[in-house]
Amino acid sequence: MISFFKKNKKFLNLIPVLIILSLLVVGCAGPTFQGWSGFAEYKGFLYFGGIDGKVYALNLTARSQNQTFPAENEWVFTIPSTGVPGSVCGPACAPASPRASIYATPVVLGDLVCVGVYGGNTGRVVAINRLAPGYTDGVPQRSKGEWTYPSGVKTMGAVVGTPVAVGQTLYVGTSDGNLYAIETTYGENKWQYGTGGKIWTSPAVEDDIVYISNYNKKVFAVSSQGNEIWSTELPTSVASSPAVSADSIFVGTFDNHLYALDLATGKERWNFKADNWFWATPLVIGDTVYAGCLDDKVYAINAGTGQEQWQFVTNGAIASSPISVDNFIIVASEIGDIYVLDSATGNMVRSIHIGSPVKAPLLADGNTLYIHTGNLCVYAFDIQSGEKLWEFCYSSNE
Amino acid sequence: MVDIWNIVILEPVLNILIWLTNILGGSFGLAIIVLTIVINLILFPLRARQTKSTKAMQTLQPKIQELQKKYAKDKQRLQQEMMKLYREAGINPLGCLWPMLIQLPVWIALYQSIMQALGATPESLLNLSQHLYSWAAVGHAIPLNEQFLWLHLSQPDPNLILAILVGGTMWVQQKMVTPPATDPRQRSMTNLTTTMMPLMFGLFTLSFPSGLALYWAVSNIIGIVIQYFVSGGWGYLRAPAPPKTAPAPAQKVLPPPKMPAAEKSKMLQQANEESKTIKKASEEKKKGLFGR
Repeated sequence: MISFFKKNKKFLNLIPVLIILSLLVVGCAGPTFQGWSGFAEYKGFLYFGGIDGKVYALNLTARSQNQTFPAENEWVFTIPSTGVPGSVCGPACAPASPRASIYATPVVLGDLVCVGVYGGNTGRVVAINRLAPGYTDGVPQRSKGEWTYPSGVKTMGAVVGTPVAVGQTLYVGTSDGNLYAIETTYGENKWQYGTGGKIWTSPAVEDDIVYISNYNKKVFAVSSQGNEIWSTELPTSVASSPAVSADSIFVGTFDNHLYALDLATGKERWNFKADNWFWATPLVIGDTVYAGCLDDKVYAINAGTGQEQWQFVTNGAIASSPISVDNFIIVASEIGDIYVLDSATGNMVRSIHIGSPVKAPLLADGNTLYIHTGNLCVYAFDIQSGEKLWEFCYSSNE
Repeated sequence: MVDIWNIVILEPVLNILIWLTNILGGSFGLAIIVLTIVINLILFPLRARQTKSTKAMQTLQPKIQELQKKYAKDKQRLQQEMMKLYREAGINPLGCLWPMLIQLPVWIALYQSIMQALGATPESLLNLSQHLYSWAAVGHAIPLNEQFLWLHLSQPDPNLILAILVGGTMWVQQKMVTPPATDPRQRSMTNLTTTMMPLMFGLFTLSFPSGLALYWAVSNIIGIVIQYFVSGGWGYLRAPAPPKTAPAPAQKVLPPPKMPAAEKSKMLQQANEESKTIKKASEEKKKGLFGR
């Protein structure tokens, strides 16, 4: 018994240490960021940001022949760290200057691939020459036609939403609450518009008007000159990026609603309630809005009235936006199943099991579906047959 | 196991925290402070019991040391005497251990909730959706406003203010409960807990989200208040440092001073009597035990 007491006395002394360790373990498990970039397809190449913080250029012909990476004209580029203490965890469990992550889908502008960078509290846009044969680490130089915005060591807010390019202008919203209009030849600031709230969603552009939402419950319409046309406040913040139709703008909110707002005035037309957030960007085709929800369902809603047309229950939350191919709607559940649905009825035509998390937007090109998964792989599937055409796993490149 | 933890402990704490944020005008900082106070009030009986047990254990320390000296060679006897001492004083030696262990999951849940509720990264915000109740007040508060006073709650405090507050309050709290040790080994352990822990947490504050640091600071302040009122004062914070044991003479060992013969025989007689009393008591105890 005496030894028991002695042991307990030691144990008592160990308790503070145990508490610290538990808190550290719990703390470090939380705030990690990896990214979920989608694809930009251009002239037989697929450009995407990897979960490893690198930008990849895949030659689709080489991939379909399962050639060793990098094959002809393929490359990988490591986005430099934003270099500013932007970690949410710090030296206790992560480096003070974390590596850059890529949530935004790259945008191809002629010979440049523009990538929005997330570095915790900071970010930037990096424009890479897509024709360059290969890269090593380092900030691209302007002399090669490449640029970063802001230039040099300066940074702006982190980029999560995919930028949108219209003509020679790139619109990007950042976590510092600004909507930036960047001139794409030299990466110069044309204007910036402060929204007063963190922006983690993509802008939508229609008829030279930029629509953007922030995490301060507001949706804005901003002219191509950077002037506010209207702003509207919703009961809660907007979770999804906006989708625009001929006369409405559709946004999903954190109070489990999908709102339709008047495109000209921003006034609410209707709202539709689900059981969780509409995180994924809705898809508008004709009179129907297709919206994936984190309540595991896909909803088809009448764009004019807000009436539900059909719903389809998947086996997991839907974080990636639905896409349309012919008469099909394709959605991915977060746990790694792809569903091909009849767009008119919502009946499942086929499903594809991947088994790895899918949060990145899907891309369809002709009859091929490209999927970027959480196990650091890219898959190409034949939409008609559901057969896997090829896969490329880049974890070996780390 | 993870699901049970989430449903039973994490999610209630998380949703209450977000609900509080909504009713406190969207201030997540205030919600952290209020919830930390509420949880401390709920756990107050446990914490008070722990404080009392610790204090009682500390008051017995001189007697325990006496017993340890007295029965240094008879471990079994020492154990019996110590148990007797605890029984007479009405103390359960594990009384200060269990309250601490019961509180631990609650603290971890609160800590985890703060991290999750902040939704500091896109992944953690997305993950948050799977832990929320369908309360309207919860949905309206998301994503949380991370601005509180001069702090961005999802980012470390760039100033030293919060780090000093966390480290300082933790040091005061540790000092209040830790008795000055005389034994060098014990002293080094005491120094470790009273100095290293506040220092470590102060450093963590510089790199962890300030929402967490705020929770640490508030917890420490509440701990100090409880300690002050339960123990009735500043405890060992104001106690004088123990006299340092003089270093042993390195060279010559002086012979003990000669004792007068009369005093020597008196001491021997006293020791013999004490020995007889202990023996007698021990025999009586044996009889008592087997006679039942």
